[in-house]
Order: sequence, then structure tokens, then C-alpha cells
Amino acid sequence: MPEIFLNGQAVQAREDQTVLQVALENGVFVPYFCWHPHLSTAGNCRMCLVEVEGRGLDIACNMPVSAGMKVFTDSDDVKAHRKAILQFITLNHPVDCGICDKAGECTLQDYHYAYNGEPSLSVDAKVRSTKYYNLSNRILLDNERCILCLRCTRFTHEISKSMALGIERRGDVSNIRPVEDRPLGEDPYSDNIVDLCPVGALQSRQFLYKSRVWYLKATPSVCPGCERGCTIQVWHRKPEWFVKSLDQRQNTSIARITPLENPAVNGPWICNKGRDLARIFERVRADQPMLKGRPVPVAEAIDAARRLIGAARHPVALVSNWGSNEELDSFKRHLGEVFVHAHVKTDWQPEEGERLEDDLLIRPDKNPNTAKARELFDMGEPNYHDGTDLVLVWGEGYDFSRIPPQAKIIFLNSYLAPENGHADVFLPLSIQTERAGHYTNFQGVVSKFEPCFPKGEAVLDAEALFKALEAPPRGHT
Amino acid sequence: MSSRKPYVRKRYWNEPEMGWYERSYFFEIWRGIRITGGVFLANMWKWMTGRKGALTAYYPEEIRADYAAHNRGKHILTQRPDGRPQCVACNMCATVCPAQVIEIDAAFDPDDPEHPKYPSRFEIDYSRCVFCGLCVEACPEDAIRMVKETPDLPGFDRGRMWLKQDELLNWQPKQDVAKPYPAAGAGRTRGAP
Ligand code: SF4
Ligand code: SF4
Ligand code: SF4
Ligand code: SF4
Repeated sequence: MPEIFLNGQAVQAREDQTVLQVALENGVFVPYFCWHPHLSTAGNCRMCLVEVEGRGLDIACNMPVSAGMKVFTDSDDVKAHRKAILQFITLNHPVDCGICDKAGECTLQDYHYAYNGEPSLSVDAKVRSTKYYNLSNRILLDNERCILCLRCTRFTHEISKSMALGIERRGDVSNIRPVEDRPLGEDPYSDNIVDLCPVGALQSRQFLYKSRVWYLKATPSVCPGCERGCTIQVWHRKPEWFVKSLDQRQNTSIARITPLENPAVNGPWICNKGRDLARIFERVRADQPMLKGRPVPVAEAIDAARRLIGAARHPVALVSNWGSNEELDSFKRHLGEVFVHAHVKTDWQPEEGERLEDDLLIRPDKNPNTAKARELFDMGEPNYHDGTDLVLVWGEGYDFSRIPPQAKIIFLNSYLAPENGHADVFLPLSIQTERAGHYTNFQGVVSKFEPCFPKGEAVLDAEALFKALEAPPRGHT
Repeated sequence: MSSRKPYVRKRYWNEPEMGWYERSYFFEIWRGIRITGGVFLANMWKWMTGRKGALTAYYPEEIRADYAAHNRGKHILTQRPDGRPQCVACNMCATVCPAQVIEIDAAFDPDDPEHPKYPSRFEIDYSRCVFCGLCVEACPEDAIRMVKETPDLPGFDRGRMWLKQDELLNWQPKQDVAKPYPAAGAGRTRGAP
């Protein structure tokens, strides 16, 4: 264990570490653009310069530790050079923060205010470049803003392995460009480069000009897109910035989704499906309890369901593998005795053309909580027989024609579907962005999600609903 | 031992200087009543004989014409030469606004690379605006200004006091913006052969 001196402070380091890693580990911040803990070291931005006694200035990200070295991260020399490097990086930068989606969370903005703070010294006109280069149907590239840190190209070479991006030409006319025959659009992890980009050069089309980032807040959540259960951040409008005149749906819709770094599950990445959860969650919702398609108040529908459950002799339940751990437990605890035959239902099948599995994140089962459901209930299709007189279907994705015709149906679903009206009792359920809970992924790691939006008046939380259904029916049958 | 003199508060106000005439109270009160009553009676006489008396404007039917040039009355959005808003929907004004009354929807125009982001909706709630002018100061594009004329404020429903983009643009259209469009002095282009 070599010992090195950081600004005069002795710290322990491992032999395989670089000075930048040691500094960050010990709470000494050294600014950097191109270095990233999960990518190879490029050393091209020169922002992480530090001074080593007797050796002068050099970049910390590529400097192996050696015993007894004396490193200064904040000497006058380092400060002066940082300033010069920022001048250099912004030489041709358009500084159009007003129309840049990164503004507010931009590394270049932050470093400018922290380490430079001066207007450009250059008297020459800035070099212009392609403002909106169409990288894929998900990502736009602004070559003027690009600082050529090569994080995006290294990501496609080292992490997603699509090798989709490269750099063409040299000097101040070099540009990031897609490689022919390797379309970025087919890389299922492509959107990670939008987060990776330290400036606003890579812009998500979904989020383009949708909102300034300081209007938004992030709620921790779990991606239900597959059994990996990556932890994510759901960004939505802060209540103090709710709009009053514009479209009110802005206040309660998902603005964007970014990964929530989690070494146990997904590291700092998620796949593109995780960015598109609005497509799943913002379908038209069911918000009205019904008896055979006739709208009724919540209490009446719950009563009807309890009567059906109380009268059934051979009931069968199909349990959703989109239910949270708490909801599945609640079902087992409150309804497990009545529904002896409870089978796990697969709510969501892989879509056409969707990648089934790879060695980075994507898993074949496209449901978030099969692991926990399997622990508590039987797998496989239930055996219906002539005596089956009640089927409780929890969640979507089940073909009602498989249910024997004589059986009554209780259906719990969150979205508008033709089946809702066919069920004897229909109860609308809340969705993941409206409640708190946990999912267990296929490795057994439990991750939590928190509510982002309020739920509708007649919409029920499954956990409480199962408890309400347990009590024997009131009054006579 | 300190030899400093004790602190004496500086007197920066005037003592009232009153002679016996002012002190006797009655004459000064009478002078006041005479001035006020005189103006009142003169106006009353004009009113009774069918002429306009006091200078008071009968707001909102009448709006006074002599607002100061720098009165912060009503917002306008300045225009580019083609009549579209100079605003780039950066939301600086909406962010700085202490009353949080500016709401902007941004849109993308791929056909205009010099001005790709523009407001598709721009609305100000006059029932809550405090006319501080901070929005004008915050704007990097000279896209929002306040003119001295007041908006048509009175109304019966505070929910309907939003000034919409069409009115902001067409009320006294202004094109002499401080930030020219398109921007002057473009340099070389990367990627061009
Ligand atoms: S990348 Fe950063 S500094 Fe550059 S325009 Fe965008 S916000 Fe401003
Ligand atoms: S696009 Fe962004 S991540 Fe890629 S090289 Fe440019 S600045 Fe770096
Ligand atoms: S004048 Fe002040 S209160 Fe009114 S819109 Fe502008 S910033 Fe907001
Ligand atoms: S009026 Fe000015 S500050 Fe407000 S959004 Fe438009 S450009 Fe930005």
C-alpha cells in the first residue's frame, strides 16, 4: 500500500489506482470531463491537471500512484492552467445555454463558474458546425457544443459494443459521426450517451425542449421493463412549478427517465426501454369501478366482489407479476386461504423485435416481479374444471376466453381495456408511479419505488384492496 | 483609558420653525380648508354646468395619457423581422419571476437553425403579476419588454386574466431589438469541405 500526499495530507492508496481515483476516494474533488469511472481512460480534456512536486503538471486520471509522491490539486499553477483549459474548451463552444437542455446540470457550466468565470479571451469568430445532426431516431447531436471528450464513442465501443460512433477529421473541424453500417438506432443502450455527455451535445429527442431541468425533480423508482429491475429516476415537475394555464397534464406526466446508479443491479446504465416507460404508464387509464360494465361507487363494487368470493366453492386466482412485494404478500396473507389455487400470470410478453437477452442488462422475462411471485404462488396455467365458479384476474395480459364460461370474473386492472366491461366486478388499480413498494429482481435484489403522482379518486391500491376483500361480506348474500 | 468623546447622533432633520401665526393653529387650518374647499367647489361648479372638473381619470373607461416613459405597464414580446417572436423559450423570465406567473411551452423548429427553439405558448397571469420588471431584466434576447401603457386589467374572473401570446406579440409590435437576428459575425464551418 503506497502512501501518497494529497495537498500535504498523507493518504493510503492501492498500487493499481490513479491519482484521480485516490483523490476522489478521499473526498478531494478534481474536475474532469472525459474521465468516467466505468470507461477507459482517454486523457484528452486535460481538465484534471494536478501538480506533482518535482515533476510539474500532469493529468491525474492517467497518473499511477507511486509511494511518497506529493500531489497538489489546488496550487496557483493548477488554478491558472485550469482556467486556461476552460478558455480553450470554450473557444468554439456556442454557449447557447438558453436553448440547451443540459443547462442546469451541465458540467461545463458548473466548471466555468467554479474555475474560470471570465468571458472568452478569443477575438476570432467561433467555428460553426452542424447544429442538429440526426444520430438516430432517439438522439440529436449538436457538434458545436461537443467538446470531443469521446465518452460517447468509448461507451459504444466498451459498454454497449455497438461501435456505432467514431470521430472524423482533425483539429477544430473534427466531428463525432456515426460509423457506416453500424446504426446507433439499433443499439438498445444508446440513450446512456445522453447522460454521459458532459455537455449538451447529445440531446434526447423525447426530452428535447420539453422542460428546463430545474423545474423537475427525480423520484427513485424501478424499471418494470424486465426482470433485471434496474433502478431509475423518474423526473417530473416540482409541485412549486406546476403550470396553471398550460396543459395540466404536464404536471402529472413523466418528463424523462434516467438511471439511478446501483452497483448491485445495473451500475450507472439502463436500456432504452427503461427510458420509454411513459409509453407503458401513460396509456389511457381505467378509473371507474364497474359491475358488468355498469359504473358503480367503489364501496358497492368491493361489496359485490366480497359476496362473489364468499359464495365461491372452487375459486381460482391469477396473480400479477407486476404486483409489488407488499401487494403479493398482502394477497397471500388476506386471500391466500380462499384462493388455494393462485397462479402467477405473465402480464407482459416480449414485443415484436424487442431484444430478448444480452450479457449487459436485458433479461428475457419482461416483468418486474416474477421472482417474488414465484416464491409465493404456483407457476403455470391453472387447471380449470367444471366446478370452477370464480376467477380473480389481477393485472393485464390474460385472454378471457380461457376462463370457463360458467365462472364469475373479478378483474383488477389499471388501464382501459375491452375486458374491463365483461368482468362481473371490475376494480381499477393504481400504477407504479402512484404508490410506493418494492420489486425483487431475478438475482433476489430488492429495490424500492416511490410515488410520483396522485392517484384518481376511485382508483385503489391493491395492498389495501386485498385486505378489504378478506372480511366476510356485510349483511345477507 | 480611552479619550474618545462619547458618540453624539448627528441631527439631519430640521426643527419645525413656527412663529406665533402658525402656533395659533386657527389660521393655518383655515388656509387648508380654503384650498381644499375652493378646488372642490370649483370642480363642483364645472360639473354642475356640464364641464369636466377634476383631473381624475374615470378608469377603466378613461385611461390617462401621461404615464411616465418608464412606467412598467404591460408586457410585449418583441419580433424578428419576419414577425415571429424573438423569444427563444429559455424560461429565464419564468424562472426569475417572483410571482411565478409566466408559463411557456417550447417547441422545436428544425427549419430555422438560427432559431430552433421558440415558444409555442407564452402566457402571463395579470391577476398575480407584480409589475416588478425582473422578467425584462432577465431576458438574454431582449424578447420581453414592458411598455408604459397598462393592460386592460379589470375583469370579473381572475382565472381569465392570462395575457396570451397573440396579444403579447400584437400589442404595439416592436422590432428594434437589442440583439440582432440573425446573429452577426458567423465564423468558419466545421465539416464543410
Ligand atoms: S453544453 Fe453547457 S455550457 Fe454549452 S450551451 Fe449547453 S448548458 Fe451551456
Ligand atoms: S458528444 Fe458529448 S460525449 Fe460525445 S465527444 Fe462530444 S462532448 Fe463528449
Ligand atoms: S413583471 Fe415581475 S411579476 Fe410580472 S411577469 Fe415580470 S417578473 Fe413576473
Ligand atoms: S422572453 Fe426572454 S427570458 Fe423569457 S423565455 Fe423568451 S427569451 Fe427567455
